[in-house]
Amino acid sequence: MASSIRILTAVPICDGHDSAINTINLEFIRHGIEVIYLGYHRSVGDIVRAATQEDVRAIGISSYNGGHIEFFAEVVGHLRKRGANDIKVFGGGGGTITHEDAAAMKRKGVDNIFFAGTSLAEMTDYVRRHYGRPRVKRSRPKSPDQELAHKLTAIEDGYARGKRVTSNVQPVTLKKKARNSSKTRVIGFTGPGGAGKTTLIDELVLRFLNQNPEGRIAILSHDPSVIGEGALLGDRATMINSQNDRVFMRSMATRGQAGGLSPATHDCLTLLARSGFDYVIIETVGTGQEAMPFQKNGIVNQTVLVMNPDYGSRLQLQKIVMLDLADIVVVNKSDLQRARTAHTEIEQRLEQNRRNQQLIDTVAKRHRDPGVDQLFGLISRSEL
Amino acid sequence: MSKLGQVVESIGNYNKFVLDQVKRARTDEKFGRELLGRWNDTKAKIPFSRTPTGLPLPRLALPEIDEPGEIARYLFAEGLPGEFPFLNGAYREMYLEPVREIESFEKNGEPAPRPARPPLPQAEEPTRLFSGLMLAEDTNERFHYLTQHQRTHRLSTAFDGPTLYGIDSDADGVFGKIGEGGVAIDTVEDMVRLYDGFDLGSPNFSASMTISGPAPIIMAMYIAAAKRRFGPKVVSKLRGTIQADIFKEVQAQNETIFPIEASLRFLTDMVEFTTREMPRWYPISISGYHIGEAGSTPVQQAAYTLSNGFAYAEMFAARGIPVDQFGPRLSFFLDCGLDVEYIALSRVSRRIWAIGMRDVFEAGPRAQLFKLHTQTSGRSLIAAEFKNNLTRTAAELMLAYMNATNSSHSNSADEPFTTPSEEWIRLAAHGQAILLEESGIFKHTMNMLSGSPGMKAVERSVEAAILDEFREIERLGGVLAAVEDRYQRSQIQNAAHRYEQQIYNGTRPIIGLNRYRDGAEAEEIPEVKLARTPRKKQQLQVDRLAKFKKKNAEKAKRALDKLAIVAERGENCFPMLLEAAEVCSLGQISGRLQEVVGRFRPMV
Repeated sequence: MASSIRILTAVPICDGHDSAINTINLEFIRHGIEVIYLGYHRSVGDIVRAATQEDVRAIGISSYNGGHIEFFAEVVGHLRKRGANDIKVFGGGGGTITHEDAAAMKRKGVDNIFFAGTSLAEMTDYVRRHYGRPRVKRSRPKSPDQELAHKLTAIEDGYARGKRVTSNVQPVTLKKKARNSSKTRVIGFTGPGGAGKTTLIDELVLRFLNQNPEGRIAILSHDPSVIGEGALLGDRATMINSQNDRVFMRSMATRGQAGGLSPATHDCLTLLARSGFDYVIIETVGTGQEAMPFQKNGIVNQTVLVMNPDYGSRLQLQKIVMLDLADIVVVNKSDLQRARTAHTEIEQRLEQNRRNQQLIDTVAKRHRDPGVDQLFGLISRSEL
Repeated sequence: MSKLGQVVESIGNYNKFVLDQVKRARTDEKFGRELLGRWNDTKAKIPFSRTPTGLPLPRLALPEIDEPGEIARYLFAEGLPGEFPFLNGAYREMYLEPVREIESFEKNGEPAPRPARPPLPQAEEPTRLFSGLMLAEDTNERFHYLTQHQRTHRLSTAFDGPTLYGIDSDADGVFGKIGEGGVAIDTVEDMVRLYDGFDLGSPNFSASMTISGPAPIIMAMYIAAAKRRFGPKVVSKLRGTIQADIFKEVQAQNETIFPIEASLRFLTDMVEFTTREMPRWYPISISGYHIGEAGSTPVQQAAYTLSNGFAYAEMFAARGIPVDQFGPRLSFFLDCGLDVEYIALSRVSRRIWAIGMRDVFEAGPRAQLFKLHTQTSGRSLIAAEFKNNLTRTAAELMLAYMNATNSSHSNSADEPFTTPSEEWIRLAAHGQAILLEESGIFKHTMNMLSGSPGMKAVERSVEAAILDEFREIERLGGVLAAVEDRYQRSQIQNAAHRYEQQIYNGTRPIIGLNRYRDGAEAEEIPEVKLARTPRKKQQLQVDRLAKFKKKNAEKAKRALDKLAIVAERGENCFPMLLEAAEVCSLGQISGRLQEVVGRFRPMV
């Protein structure tokens, strides 16, 4: 199977018109395209950084608030400056982008502008035709981040072409210990959907960036592919602190594999762990062991399970295997009424486990939340 | 149960009360006679006037009923215009031209001379046209153009992208956006330029400002600008509205800049100040327009707007502001599209609001009023064969006036392409005048179109659907919980997607686009020059902002530090915002506040 087409979509800075792009994203996904959606009010810098890190085929910009000639031109210009000439740019703006505007934009390097009344089918066809052919020869990467991005793509493409995963679930004891860079710490975040992992990670990144003026973090996040279709890789859209030159983020679709990971995850994670970051964060969705297989003696140094207080009854907790495996358990949204009970029930379970696991309550959405401070302290102080 | 659940109950109870009154009118003779007497009395007092062609018409039309039960039903379920529950209108008389007495005609057909009578005081025209472009002085010019023939000067201000997001014109990467889609406002000096030549304290002037995320800061700048020109005594005379509605930003328009709770706190700070010091100002315009424009169904628009409104009422009451102080200062904003629900949407909303406010919040009569501004739908405007938009807007205005909106904006036909140009904005303004002044539909008789069986059928259906939505939101834990759960947002997105599918598969006909499409005509774009801000002007704005910042550097730093302390302490920030607005730019203030309370985390 050919590798899915990865594109990035966004709405420009000072523009909140996301109704069109939301509908377009859904159409793209229904036709097998993986969409990394950056959201609205996004600067040129954020868009170009994300596109190069995600190594997408093209950027689709939806602009209804004017200033489009300059904005699109700046995106193209920045891409070229970074040597990312093979990332293309297209877009639309209903009737706000005239034919004259579009001609000017094309002269500045934009591939195509869709005018008002263009059907969704036409747009989808366009993307599949123009950005679906395999890249023949790629220009040499101009920066370490770009090189890393290209390599990650090569790994994903390899698995898409039929390379088989040897084994994603590592046994607890391994003959050979995988080697991370000397000081790279790999932290795994897992937990049920909606628990607030993305927000929590973004808040931790904020603290890291503030306390380590030179430090760098990598994030590998996963989103499920819809069966037979593409995927909406939307974690970036809600992250504000992680859109930063010192944060390298890569979004991966699970591409048909069960358990919350992609076939390429293990190899990608191994590569990231060897690339000189202070921390590599891998984020997956799930509560069973298949969600975080790279544990102790593998690549992941520490695992964090993020729980939503609304998990149901104590009986439901029995089904959550990660409660027995995670090093740190976080009860997020602990401002909810249910959180007190959740904390107590989980605490009991952890005590039974007798594995020296930590339990922390957070309200990740809260600015300067002391729980998140505590979690950050715990992660950054832990021994390897 | 949150207050919203109580509102649902109160509507049910009120409807039951109406039925009880109907029964009572039929069984209690004395009551029945009282009602009949009151009804006949009301009818007898209705003045008549003549149409231009000589036909006598009553100023208020009432159903032809004389049975006490039916009278009870009408009076209690609907109310006369200006009477609880306000289904037929917030005020007794709206849109009517001054009384022209019945003239007796001489035998030869000439009107007999009559003694002169003093004209009745005339209500303000509803027209309030939304505009904003390029720099403050350019928008000021447009304002004067738009109001040159108006008796009362009613302005409505559109701001550019950077201003809407609380960002200065000199911020990284926004140069191309300066003055696009609205006016660029960075400082109090811009604000002074923007309203130059208008008498801000006059009872004939009012300014509406369409901005929500940074609204408290812009409000402070407006007050500072007014004080600069007219001295501190003008503050209590200021008339106008600032949109400021955070809930709908998070649900639809996406212009929130602080985290939700901080945003709501700053809003309440502003409301506390203005309801006390500026009795003629509306510090919030609780909006459904953006919800509708983001693709919601009409019922969703009304339901989310009303529930947001009740949530605000709960919030302001919790701050200790008396309901009869803030109630009369709440205003509402809905859009009007071509779907049939719009025949009754605003009327029904007005009624639900009145009952909820009276019976759950114990509001007095003035605080029960749902004061409404309606804008014709922007989403309904089509680029292909764009001149059809004139017809669309005219139909939408009809629907708006049938609902007795207090204030209206009509879109220009060229808006799919650009902020409207003079030619098309003139036609948009004329559309309102043609319907209200030239045509006889609304200027002779109140209740002109109310009560038709069709309208009543839509009313019933819409009301039931809105209450269902209330129940769902209540089930989710109330408005704030539902918002954080992305409930309204995801409903809106689903509805938008369905709407686009319907256009795509033709089940929703759009003339000129998916039906009766003419190849050549479809491609036509307006000839007139599109409103784009020249680079020179954008540079001018950046330059004068730099001068302002340099001039005020010392004072700005001190003001921002003081503001940060107040914000940290959780005190009311508004007085400090007023001080800061004198010497700081919009971006400086919003940036500093974001350092204290954080930035809004986008919801997608």
